[in-house]
Amino acid sequence: MGADAIPVSVLTGFLGSGKTTMLRHLLRQPEFSRTAVIINEFGEVGLDHELIEASEDSFIELQTGCLCCKIRSDLSQTLADLLRRRDEGRCTPFDRIVIETSGLADPAPILQTLMTDAAIAGRLVLGGVVTTVDAVNAMGTLEREGISQKQVAVADRIVLTKLDLAGSEKPALLNRLEAFNAGAPVLIADHGRVDSSLVFNSGLYDPQTKSADVNAWLAEEAHAHARHDAIKTFAIVRQEPIPAVALTLFLEALAEHCGADILRLKGIVNIAESPDRPAVIHGVQHVFHPPAWLHHWPSDDRRSRIVFITRRVPQRWVEVLLEAIGDEVADVQVMHQLQSQRPS
Amino acid sequence: MSATPNDLVHELLAESVLAWRVAARVEREGADALVIAGAKDIRIACAPPHVPFRWTVTIDGRTRPAISLVAVLRQVREALDPSYAANRVRIAVAPLVPS
Repeated sequence: MGADAIPVSVLTGFLGSGKTTMLRHLLRQPEFSRTAVIINEFGEVGLDHELIEASEDSFIELQTGCLCCKIRSDLSQTLADLLRRRDEGRCTPFDRIVIETSGLADPAPILQTLMTDAAIAGRLVLGGVVTTVDAVNAMGTLEREGISQKQVAVADRIVLTKLDLAGSEKPALLNRLEAFNAGAPVLIADHGRVDSSLVFNSGLYDPQTKSADVNAWLAEEAHAHARHDAIKTFAIVRQEPIPAVALTLFLEALAEHCGADILRLKGIVNIAESPDRPAVIHGVQHVFHPPAWLHHWPSDDRRSRIVFITRRVPQRWVEVLLEAIGDEVADVQVMHQLQSQRPS
Repeated sequence: MSATPNDLVHELLAESVLAWRVAARVEREGADALVIAGAKDIRIACAPPHVPFRWTVTIDGRTRPAISLVAVLRQVREALDPSYAANRVRIAVAPLVPS
């Protein structure tokens, strides 16, 4: 990943939750002046792009269907085109991209596209997921709509909107949001106005500083037992360094056996072969981003910590899986050592 | 290159059955094997010494080798869970160490 990688933030949230209103406000801020926007609308006639004032040549509307399920390749192509135009000086320079999804979009495939598409993965870095939540309707929406639950579960930041209309539901809603995603800070938008410095600063990995927002998202560890009937958040912590091959086998087994149910996985891992440079891992469902290597540990805490947001994946199974694979790898390494010491 | 079906492996298989939500029971059979009673009869044992794999998995009388626990899990899941579509993903944690 190059030092000039461009952060791509995903702005999601259920229908009518205030995504466009907030984005319109943000794009008026000076610090967002070099932002390219990709907007996806679900339906015959797109309106959201009409509501946003932005430089036309850095603004792209995808209208062929819901971003998550029909036009992943279009998204990839669009991003590649955008980068080409930037390289050739054929559009307003930008150093950030925001993708506003449709309200019915599952964000996971979009994140996967950003992480895996060969044409763009090396030049773009996931800047985080921001989910707007409409304080008036969210309780009902979260109850009924699985997509809404998923949008909240994968968020790095949650922005509450329409609080002025919400009456006394806020405490109950906050509890509900915590059940789905205890780690994401909750911000308040007032008619779309929100502290812009807090919204899109949730990048898992900052290519400029080669550091990660590790401390922020590891705060999820403190809430590691937040639970909902279907979606669970938990963290696994390992004192001992993990051999690289054990981590690979572990991630492979997770993806193979419960990939669709891993909504998000984020972690900082003490790799045995790289004790001074921890690996930051990040996955969405069965897709895992290649690890980013930090220059140094962000604190004295050198334990491996991996946070999971899952749908019905038992925590104990994940713990035992890692432990058993780690044991097997260690066992094989010992046997190889013994064999190599044996006289031929 | 043989392994031992110790308590951890026993627990892994028991937890795996729960995670996959299939009806099966995992029990020990002596010191060297585990048996799983479910839709099929499965026996997991240490591979004989001096063979290039660690486990054998016998499903309804047919024995196949397994090079690792990950391979054991795959075979057991395929046997017990008819809805399981084997997704042979390969995740390259590359580079394995920072360059």
